[in-house]
Amino acid sequence: MADVVLRSENLHKRYGELEVLKGVSFEVDRGQVKVIIGPSGSGKSTLLRCLALLEPPDEGDVYLENERLSALREKQLAPHRSEVGMVFQRFNLFQNMTALGNVMCGLVEVRRLPKREARERALEFLERVGVADKASQYPDELSGGQQQRVAIARALVMRPKAMLFDEPTSALDVELVREVLDVIESLAQEGMTMVVVTHEIRFAQHVASSVLMMDAGRIVEEAPPDEFFSAPKEERTQRFLALVE
Amino acid sequence: MLASFDTHLFWSALSSGPYWRGALTALEVTAASLPTALVIGFFVALGSLSKRRSVRMLAWIYNWLFRATPTLLQLYFVWYALPTWWSGFAQSWFTPFMAAWITLSLNEAAYASEIIRAGLLSVDPGQELAGRALGMPRRRILQRIVVPQAVRIAIPPIGNEFITLLKLTSLASIISLHELLTAATTLTSSKFVYNEPLLAALVYYLGIVSILMVLQSRLERRFTWTSRRRRRVAAPAVPAVSHDAR
Repeated sequence: MADVVLRSENLHKRYGELEVLKGVSFEVDRGQVKVIIGPSGSGKSTLLRCLALLEPPDEGDVYLENERLSALREKQLAPHRSEVGMVFQRFNLFQNMTALGNVMCGLVEVRRLPKREARERALEFLERVGVADKASQYPDELSGGQQQRVAIARALVMRPKAMLFDEPTSALDVELVREVLDVIESLAQEGMTMVVVTHEIRFAQHVASSVLMMDAGRIVEEAPPDEFFSAPKEERTQRFLALVE
Repeated sequence: MLASFDTHLFWSALSSGPYWRGALTALEVTAASLPTALVIGFFVALGSLSKRRSVRMLAWIYNWLFRATPTLLQLYFVWYALPTWWSGFAQSWFTPFMAAWITLSLNEAAYASEIIRAGLLSVDPGQELAGRALGMPRRRILQRIVVPQAVRIAIPPIGNEFITLLKLTSLASIISLHELLTAATTLTSSKFVYNEPLLAALVYYLGIVSILMVLQSRLERRFTWTSRRRRRVAAPAVPAVSHDAR
């Protein structure tokens, strides 16, 4: 049996009248990289937020290593969130903290590590994403690519069981996209379990274990990347790929 | 034109005990009321942002009550009416100073809560989201991330409120608090002159507010998050709360 890290079952999510997720079942095995593509408004971000335990689903369940987490209340849920790393499109670095402070924050506030130990470990992770020299700078003073790498370090330092990326390069200038994708690729090579929402088709072809197409709150198609991009089965996927490429 | 300006009277008023003590009292009432108002206002602001309708309603009623009635009336009310309700307020501890402190704190809290609410709302929701994603409980997110950023936005209008409060303390002269205006009016009615005593009071107010403005700009720099502590372009505007006729 495959070693499933993160799984959703029949997820439904509504915002008022609008049903954003219409029964999404999804799973990612240990060491797999799943790439989700699809038009805006198709429910990709909402799915990711449900998987990150940031949004309670209206129906259906989320399991992390076979533990049913969607049953937990807010208080019990909070510590579990640190087991899933989330990286946002707009970085969302804490503006009132330095790069180092951002990476230390989770260790100090959630893991209750002593400051010195937290600092050492945070620096190690800043080094890993190549921004150790910016440790004492505030987010305002960093480029988009640097901010996103700090955000990745902030999530990684918690040693999550899976990493979720919500369009991590969409807010970046073209020449900064590469440095962020390189970091994500190296994580893939180290065997990190990941779910990546992105429009970077070449990245998906290169890194993904499988690619999913989402449309109107449902998963339309899932296939290994070579198959997905060269011979998409669904008409909806073909139309979308024709527009993106 | 100042037809007959008695320089000597002006200087002696400026350096006299009642003026000094009056200015000090005004400053004390202000310095005591603002922190109290900020604490109450913070909770009223949280209340007005609550998910629970009943809590939002309570916050609304508080703001409505204290903003829709004149401060002078509130002051009269606390000083004269409150002791008739509850004998605890008819004791010797209930001085004009205490009455002014209580009134101005409650009154100012209503205005401060609006500023704090705007400050909290001005913080990008992505900040809270990122905190939750890290597994931080809501309280810690508020403490470590949202409030410090809201403070940055709230400092300039809160500085305004400090100035307003300082000037409002002059109202407390009617409940026989010996503050700065009391010193000036006592002098005008004993000497039957107006220029010198009033100008001397004016100089005090100007002096106190000027010092305050310097402190405020220092505080603003303290809450600007750049490693070089350079000046940042003005923060997003918070809706001005007008209260000229408080």
